[in-house]
Amino acid sequence: MLRASAAAEEAGVPSVSLTCEGFIGQAATTATGLGLPNLPVAVVPGHVDVQTVEELRANVLGFTVDAVIQGLTVAQEQASESVEPEPGAVVFEGSVDEINRFFYENGWSDGLPIVPPTAARVDEFLKFTDRAPDEELGVLLPDKRSATVRNVAINGVMAGCRPEYMPILVALIEAMADPAYGVEHSGNTPGAETLIILNGPLIRQLGFNYQQGALRDGFMANTSIGRFWRLYLRNVAGFLPHKTDKGTFGNTWRVVLAENEDALAKMSWTTIAADQGIAAGESAVTISRFTGGTVLASVFGSKPEQMIPYLADGIARLVAWEVIFTLGMADGAQKPLLVLSPILAQTLARAGLTKQDVQRQLFEHARIPAWKFERYLGEWTNLSPGHPRLVDFVKSKRAPAVFAESDDPNRLVPVVCKPDDIMVAVSGDPLRTNAYVFAHNGILGFPTTKPVRLPGAWRRLLAEAAGR
Amino acid sequence: MGRQEVDALWIVIPTGQRASGEWIDDTLRRRAEEAGLLARTPEAGRFPRQRVEVIRAVDPFAEVNERFEARGWTDGLPVVPPTLARVQALCATTARMPSDELGEVDPLRGVATVEKIAANAVMAGCRPEYFPVVLAAVEALLDPAFNMRGVQTTDENVAPLLVVNGPIAARLGINAGFGALGPGWRANAAIGRAVRLVMLNLGGGWPGAVSLAGLGQPGRYSLCLAERDDSPWPPLHVELGYRPDQSTVTVWRAETAINVTGGLAELASVMGSAASAFTMLYTGRVAVIVAPFVARKLAKDGWSKDDVKRHLHAQARVSVSAMREWWLRATAREWPARFETQDHVSAIASPDDITVLVAGADLAIPQLAYFPSWGFPPCRITREIAAPLD
Repeated sequence: MLRASAAAEEAGVPSVSLTCEGFIGQAATTATGLGLPNLPVAVVPGHVDVQTVEELRANVLGFTVDAVIQGLTVAQEQASESVEPEPGAVVFEGSVDEINRFFYENGWSDGLPIVPPTAARVDEFLKFTDRAPDEELGVLLPDKRSATVRNVAINGVMAGCRPEYMPILVALIEAMADPAYGVEHSGNTPGAETLIILNGPLIRQLGFNYQQGALRDGFMANTSIGRFWRLYLRNVAGFLPHKTDKGTFGNTWRVVLAENEDALAKMSWTTIAADQGIAAGESAVTISRFTGGTVLASVFGSKPEQMIPYLADGIARLVAWEVIFTLGMADGAQKPLLVLSPILAQTLARAGLTKQDVQRQLFEHARIPAWKFERYLGEWTNLSPGHPRLVDFVKSKRAPAVFAESDDPNRLVPVVCKPDDIMVAVSGDPLRTNAYVFAHNGILGFPTTKPVRLPGAWRRLLAEAAGR
Repeated sequence: MGRQEVDALWIVIPTGQRASGEWIDDTLRRRAEEAGLLARTPEAGRFPRQRVEVIRAVDPFAEVNERFEARGWTDGLPVVPPTLARVQALCATTARMPSDELGEVDPLRGVATVEKIAANAVMAGCRPEYFPVVLAAVEALLDPAFNMRGVQTTDENVAPLLVVNGPIAARLGINAGFGALGPGWRANAAIGRAVRLVMLNLGGGWPGAVSLAGLGQPGRYSLCLAERDDSPWPPLHVELGYRPDQSTVTVWRAETAINVTGGLAELASVMGSAASAFTMLYTGRVAVIVAPFVARKLAKDGWSKDDVKRHLHAQARVSVSAMREWWLRATAREWPARFETQDHVSAIASPDDITVLVAGADLAIPQLAYFPSWGFPPCRITREIAAPLD
């Protein structure tokens, strides 16, 4: 919300941001991250969503307007930078218990014990990259802190990663820092959580689980890297619950999802990484932020026509208010993910379907009534202003014709704009006929893929690590 | 000589962080440097920028005090180290979350989270069960009508006056009797001091650097008492519409406490002669403390509280010709017409601007008090005190 204000101020145009009462702290912190710590904010008491027009009018006239005038007319005082320890500085010495208490009490931990990021442990991680410790991978909002190779290593140590995961951690933070992903939205109120999808030879080399229990904790590589992601959001980007992270509920971090590439290869299906443009044989991470997921249990049938309707129903059922990212808040940005167990994928492949065929069929079947789509946009939520109608999206060429084949409110329309917006992965128990579907958070965590760059001495380093 | 054991204290850093993340100490250090006051706080701004600091020393209690004083985090007296355990014990007495924000403390706008207030309350010597009173008092002080910015930065010597009403006063042992404005009662001393430490450490009201009060006053250490529960009149909180079983804290901007020996006549005389031009110009709200002996006698003679207020309003008068000589006459932007059309005017704009409290010892040589007010807008702010959670 303050980013528009910051852009205006930087262009020399005075601004003031309207902020609901519950967001004052986030506004101030975000403003600092934007380098304009004194961006004027005018508070609207309570939350506008639950106020009648009369209440809102009274609140705005009685309270907000004065601050708007003040914000637009009074010059803001300058603020100074906050002071942080130098990179590599020793911030604490003590026993493991004391270190854990110290990190936790200072908000540097997620509540579980951390591995103390000693200089020696951090150095071990740094050996697994050819990049300089102080190389900047990007600058992360809201704290506007530099993501460096060193602070990647530090958080990797803390999360319980092994040093050889370091190339993956660096790739992940490159993805986090990619503007296409939109890390700055990570504190929004729906509180969606990122899923990391891993492809390539590193799955086997580093022992990721991609079979039964693929999304369950219990496997060091999958689990510790998932934890690293959220520690990094906390410690470097600066997303803290009760401050900059306003997730109404939130949820814990997700473990890394590794695809079953043996199964994919046998079916000649593409991997997620390949779909995202990564060359075969290369390892890559794909991050995408999902609002939630659910299991589709006991998919019954031996033919696609028996299976697709149920799988597609799962997608149509889960992508609800999230259609604002299909059309409305963003167009064509809804990228739900369907994870098929290998046996389901193989059954579809046996009928001659490629992954792209499956995506096309899912697109045909994952439909909801047009009236419902429109209500998600502008009646049940207020996330797309002005009660937009799908026929108007088509008229203005913002949406494909499929959204306006008639003006019957009961006609069925897709929940995404095109077939390959439905991402399909293969993982999980190879012999169980279950699937998992995730609804997507659109531009507030857009699928972003980065190749994993290995150090020159990777083989030797890996062999040494295996001996420890 | 045996090796001395080093001990550690885990302390919650009590100083203010703004919503934008900056620490107010950086501003304070610059102000102190400019004002040539760094000798008092040589370590101002030199502390780890985090929630918790571990202080290790053979005598960590003394070490905390040394460091805090050098960083400018005390009122000059020793403090109780705000350890995690002590701070958590205070936070446990309220249903609010430690991270809940009551507001920003002017002028440097440190965020008054429940935990930061608790750290300062621990330092002031508060027992855990005092904490709901401190929270309610801080809430009252953050009401815009209190004008915290003005109170903290003015060259006048104003201090918050805190009066506690209701059953919590007796439960916590907040003194309303003998020596209620003096030393000897931990609750009075610590609650008032907690508020001052909040103003210093979250608001940045460092004397000479930010606070330009020419002399200050002893009430800036602590100015907190309860009203007696045996008053012949309805107690303040009931007068304000609260139930007798509710507890409240009420705050004023008090210029000072003036002792008055005698009865209403003496009180009115002092109110007239100690008239604050600020009070007169800006309709200040003043408080008087009537001794129980005087109150009983008045009540027996049929005086209500309102009668007392009207009487004081009528009798506390200032000569208009004398006022013409005042410094304020030459500097005030506005000079009310009523000051020109009469020989004498009341020192207080309206009887309703006078609060009558009953406190002090039950003596036949009664001691009363008058608290003139400073500044604007009119201020007498009351907040209910939640019962401390067990």
